[in-house]
Amino acid sequence: MTIVFLLIPLAFVLVLGSAAALIWAVDSGQYDGDLDESSRIALEQDEERPPPAA
Amino acid sequence: MNSEATTAWSRSVFNVHGMHCSNCARSVERAVRQLDGVRQFSLNPATAVAAIDWDPRKLSLTRIYNAIRTAGFRAVPLEGEQAEADARAERRAALKRIGVAGLGMMQTMMLIYALYAGGAHGVDAQIAQYLRLSGMLLATPVLFYSGLPFLTSAVRDLRQRRLGMDVPVSVALLLAYCASVVNTLTGSGAVYYDSVTMFVFLLSVGRFAEMVVRQRSVSSREAFTRSVPSTAIRIIPTGGTERVSVASLLAGDIVSVARGAVVPVDGELRSGRAWIDESLVTGESVPVLKDQGAKVFGGSVNTQHPIEVTCSAPADQSAIAGIAALLQRAVAQRPRTLAVADRVSSQFSFVTLALSGAVALYWLWADPSNAMPATLAVLVVTCPCALSLAVPTTFSAATSRLARAGLLVVKADSLERLAKVDTVILDKTGTLTEGRPVVLVEQVREGLSAERALSIAAALERTSDHPLSEGFAPFADPGIVAERVVEQPGEGLEGCVAGELWRLGRPEFVLRVPDAGPTGGDSPLVLGRAGREVARFRVQQNLSVTARDAVNALRRLGLRVAIVSGDSEQAVGQVAGMLGVTEHYARVDYSRKPEIVRQLQAAGANVLMVGDGINDGPALASANVSCAMAQGSAMAQCTADLLLMPASLAALGRGITLARQAGRVTRQNLAWAFLYNVTAVPLAAAGYIAPWVAALGMSLSSLAVVMNAARLTAERPTRLVEDVA
Repeated sequence: MTIVFLLIPLAFVLVLGSAAALIWAVDSGQYDGDLDESSRIALEQDEERPPPAA
Repeated sequence: MNSEATTAWSRSVFNVHGMHCSNCARSVERAVRQLDGVRQFSLNPATAVAAIDWDPRKLSLTRIYNAIRTAGFRAVPLEGEQAEADARAERRAALKRIGVAGLGMMQTMMLIYALYAGGAHGVDAQIAQYLRLSGMLLATPVLFYSGLPFLTSAVRDLRQRRLGMDVPVSVALLLAYCASVVNTLTGSGAVYYDSVTMFVFLLSVGRFAEMVVRQRSVSSREAFTRSVPSTAIRIIPTGGTERVSVASLLAGDIVSVARGAVVPVDGELRSGRAWIDESLVTGESVPVLKDQGAKVFGGSVNTQHPIEVTCSAPADQSAIAGIAALLQRAVAQRPRTLAVADRVSSQFSFVTLALSGAVALYWLWADPSNAMPATLAVLVVTCPCALSLAVPTTFSAATSRLARAGLLVVKADSLERLAKVDTVILDKTGTLTEGRPVVLVEQVREGLSAERALSIAAALERTSDHPLSEGFAPFADPGIVAERVVEQPGEGLEGCVAGELWRLGRPEFVLRVPDAGPTGGDSPLVLGRAGREVARFRVQQNLSVTARDAVNALRRLGLRVAIVSGDSEQAVGQVAGMLGVTEHYARVDYSRKPEIVRQLQAAGANVLMVGDGINDGPALASANVSCAMAQGSAMAQCTADLLLMPASLAALGRGITLARQAGRVTRQNLAWAFLYNVTAVPLAAAGYIAPWVAALGMSLSSLAVVMNAARLTAERPTRLVEDVA
């Protein structure tokens, strides 16, 4: 049973690592679904390009 | 002097962050209404959008925002980059809290269930204490990080001496956590870290689902304004072009619109002919061919070659900006059903706490070992989440779905009234007929040329919103200007051209006779001066491509359909015949339209009036529910409960079906929330439900309510397709 004294701290480390990875992923925008403002500006400028010559 | 009449009220619509229930909305309302200079304030807890009218001489927007901040909430702009950043930050914070709670919950349950198993089969006291301490270490960040919004909201509520939804939630969480910590430190007794973490996790997931439905609802309205670009290419009169902010454009400015680009403001086509896609503004899915001088709307797309547009109004006065402003204010209104649910849920928090106290006292007397789990279970199981979510989520989902279908809810409680409609009155011109009317000259007298007669008529019609005015637009002559033009709704126009008083409209109006008798034909229009007819025009109109489908869909729903118009019997009869409508009223002027509505209402009918012109305003105001065409007159739009995109006329039937379905979903949600509480409370009070099971049951009931409402936002709900097909 003494193994739990090693396994539980190990589980804590894994949980902390997972939480840190999740927080980093959320903060870096990996869970943002919508287009942000910078993408919108890029698309607007694309639309204003002259059409290719016929 | 009436100060109301002389005060220029400022208006603003904004989001309020940090609201979780109707009690929060009441706190914000109380804080704002205490300020001197507030004329009107409405806040919808379902959408978290507020609308305010205030006197700028007494109050500033900063002071209003500060008052909201003092009450514990945050006012943020409704749209734009800042609003988007706020919504994104809110989503990210919620996701992080859910993630931490989920990870903590899994670990805690693993440890605490080992403790439960040890209790049943025997466990070393040292290991049992080790498991308790580990559970405490895991539950602490879950409660004080992931559960922080519930705790801060409860503190805010108590500071303001009110019982919000988060008060019983926080009492349950802190009671369970504190009891567990005491038992951990003393090394004896039960711990409830599993219940704490599961409650926080499931509650956070429920709040997240609610937030997503709310944000989606608001964003569907923002789509209108977002579709207009923020910058435009202005042509400098002295040569060259410059990129400027759309907000800085003035009437008379000329802008260049590239192929595939969006027209930034309302204006007139300056260069050649062009195919314009007006689907955003008018709902018409097929691009329209516009001639030089034709009106183009901000928000429409230039589909072919680059064009130049002369701005007719600043961006904030364009048609799309007007619609967006009406919609923004609509989102801030609170529907009547929601107010009833608010009252019920606000009482519910008090009842929950009182009931939990009674249960605790009973078990302390009967069996003290069961007092804590039973009290916790009652607190958790009775959390009024499902009850307070039942109506707002349904309302948000339904209005969002309707907006996508082309029917925009302007007044919040109109959805409830729309569900009860059994009679639909449709205006003919501009509602059932569409496109630019074709004007033919039938007769010209007094030596006037046909061209001159058409130009005078075009000058008179220039300022009119009536759909017929578009037919005269191609004949406008810049040298002929009409002054002091007055529109007589349902009759015609009167104005001065070159010093002479002219009239254009129905024969009896122009000839100043009581009734000119049957005129025959479609829609005869007479131009005259001094009571004499000078020219007679015939206006031909085309039936809207969606009119037949729309009327058929309404009839399939079992609705009585009638057409009302100021036009001749023959013109109205012809349209009615094409649509298969047997009940129609012709030669009805603007004062008689509301009479017809009232007659039907007196016979027990619930009337939906659909119109577009100034002359429809009184009838729209008299009807049980009113719907204006989005490209119709401003007066009709201001009066109406709903706005309908013209090519979306068929959405009317779908809208009524969806309104009925929203009513059913609301009743289902309320019934489910009531049934759940009535069943679960006695079981929890009797000690048959463990706190963690209560947490699971409460969260699942809230999720069931949100998911049931979310069915309405589905692109093609099965029942809608069945009803309309």
